[in-house]
Amino acid sequence: MKQETNNEVDLLLRRLGRRPETSIFDGNGDVEHLDADELSAYAENVVPAAARARYTEHLAECTRCRELIVQLSSSAGVVPFVETVKPLAPSALRKFLASLFTPMVLRYAVPALGLILVAAIGLFVLRQKKNEDASIAQNVETQKSTSITTTNSPQPEAQPSTAFDSPAENSAGKPGQSSVALANQPAAAAPNAPTIAGDTADASRGAAAKKEEAQPVVTEARARAPPKPATTSDESKRPAEAEARRETSQERLANEPRVQNTVDVAKAEDRKAAEVEIAKARSDAEAASKAQTFSGIASVKPGAASRSRAQRDDDAVEKDKNDDGETRTVAGRKFRKQGDSWIDTAYSSVRVTTNLTRGSEQYRALIADEPGIKTIADQLNGEVVVVWKGRAYRIR
Amino acid sequence: MESSSRQIQKVLNDGAQRLLVRASDSRSLAREQLAPRISAAVDKYLLRDDPQISEAEIAKFIDELQADDLCLIIACERGDENAWNDLVERFTATVRSAARSASSNEDAAEDLAQSIWAELYGLRTRKDGTPASKLAYYSGRGSLAGWLRAVVGQLAVDTFRKQSRLVQTEEDTDLDRLAHDASVGEVFAGIPNPEESMSNRFAQADMQQALNKAVQELAAEDRLLVKLYYFDDLRLREAGAVLGVHEATASRRLTRIQTDLRKRVTKILIDERGWTQTETEKSFAEVAQHLDIAQI
Repeated sequence: MKQETNNEVDLLLRRLGRRPETSIFDGNGDVEHLDADELSAYAENVVPAAARARYTEHLAECTRCRELIVQLSSSAGVVPFVETVKPLAPSALRKFLASLFTPMVLRYAVPALGLILVAAIGLFVLRQKKNEDASIAQNVETQKSTSITTTNSPQPEAQPSTAFDSPAENSAGKPGQSSVALANQPAAAAPNAPTIAGDTADASRGAAAKKEEAQPVVTEARARAPPKPATTSDESKRPAEAEARRETSQERLANEPRVQNTVDVAKAEDRKAAEVEIAKARSDAEAASKAQTFSGIASVKPGAASRSRAQRDDDAVEKDKNDDGETRTVAGRKFRKQGDSWIDTAYSSVRVTTNLTRGSEQYRALIADEPGIKTIADQLNGEVVVVWKGRAYRIR
Repeated sequence: MESSSRQIQKVLNDGAQRLLVRASDSRSLAREQLAPRISAAVDKYLLRDDPQISEAEIAKFIDELQADDLCLIIACERGDENAWNDLVERFTATVRSAARSASSNEDAAEDLAQSIWAELYGLRTRKDGTPASKLAYYSGRGSLAGWLRAVVGQLAVDTFRKQSRLVQTEEDTDLDRLAHDASVGEVFAGIPNPEESMSNRFAQADMQQALNKAVQELAAEDRLLVKLYYFDDLRLREAGAVLGVHEATASRRLTRIQTDLRKRVTKILIDERGWTQTETEKSFAEVAQHLDIAQI
């Protein structure tokens, strides 16, 4: 196969080759040509290197020997070797990159990485979704707090009350459930809307939409929950301690400066945490209260607790000796007369208040759970604002 | 020196012994009968180029000899009839084939083949009365078949070259003759353009001479490839077969040689003829253009 290059040297060489070659060996009888043995050995490529170079030199100039060697080479059938271009030594980076694409890596490592990637993306999406839910709840809470603040400032009495003693909240204390309690609070404000623990978003939206109606609410959970008498000795021990904690918590709540007019979410959360803590104490107190109600059944050890309970019983049936028309003590609560209303001395205007009407269904549900409120409502005529287990009720 | 000779002789004797063992049919030859032939081969292919070559290299060389072929030829030389019969039987076809390839017709081929057998048998006698058989020149380095083909080729070429000298054919074209004249100092008239300036013709003659010189400066392997491809008009595959390389390798070598020659020609023109680089480039382009047109 002739090389069809058209470069200048190729053309010049072709022209040079057309000239008759003047071999330095032609016509020179003294010149030693390659003999048959050397020619055949050269054609078969078995001549040692030094001798071969000498023969090559001769062949390049001797047309006769070249003619012979061409004939012999074509019939010798020597397998020619192909010069291979030695590849450059790969650099370290190239080696590293090449190692990333070895069959072993492609077979095992890449699928493993793919699985890890998918798992990471899935985890990220789930977390983000959870954050979105939490942020929605927080936003709603923030909006609620803002609305409440706006509404409360001119008319604190028109605030919707908050159902605080739901069974779900009794078990509060875990971090995950504090947010549930946070979301349940506005849910309780929705009229005729049962509190469903966990259904926070809907409940929050309902509360945001209807909070201004400020109608009295009693949670369905509360209505369904029957009073549980303390029947065991362990439970009977709790009322005294619970009562003490309740008193402490109430005093702290009463004395704590309320700065909830701000819309700060962090503060709202802090407040919720505090309320959850209080709620836990109240749940114990509730048990104590029930134990008081069914005092005939419960066997209470003598001591400070029994004395405290006896004192409360006395207070429940007797009017305060200092009955000057300004202050009365009923069921252990001090009430101050303001106009036609009896206001609990522990009551604060910023406290979220649940409005109830005597004889209403919500009122009956409440007094079924909290007979102490019934005692107070019966003892005091007119509008009564009572703080009971951390919550304020306005009974008309 | 003597100890060295003794050592080499020992290597040769040991090598001859190994060769006899290696041969499938040693033809009842003795080590001493074989050693002189082996010694001649070692001198020819090794010691002539490197007198200080190691004994190991010599031993390796001996072990690579064609044991059966060498034993057969030595036995024939020694008048072993069975060996002759074997030689004729095994290689008649090879000799005839080579003779046909080297001859223009069947009769000439037959004559050539008969001449070869006569040469081998040693019908001619030397001055000392011994048969002048060509068998004495087989070293066993290459195959016996290859050697026989080479013998046939040599005889044919020498015969035909003698005849061809009597009838000198005129192969040069007019342009080639002019170019040849330019190479000996006359004007190079390779461009068939009467209007071309005289200076251009001289320039192209300079370039052709520079190229000729550059080719002579090439290494022997490269020069042989240029001769085979451009002078003997072989194909790359055929040229590669002579050099013992694949045609692809021959093609790459040729491209490299062309580049090398261009550099050499440019250097010669600048250093010896006082050309500038620009003039060299321009002349290359002009020559290529005119030669291209001339080939069309």
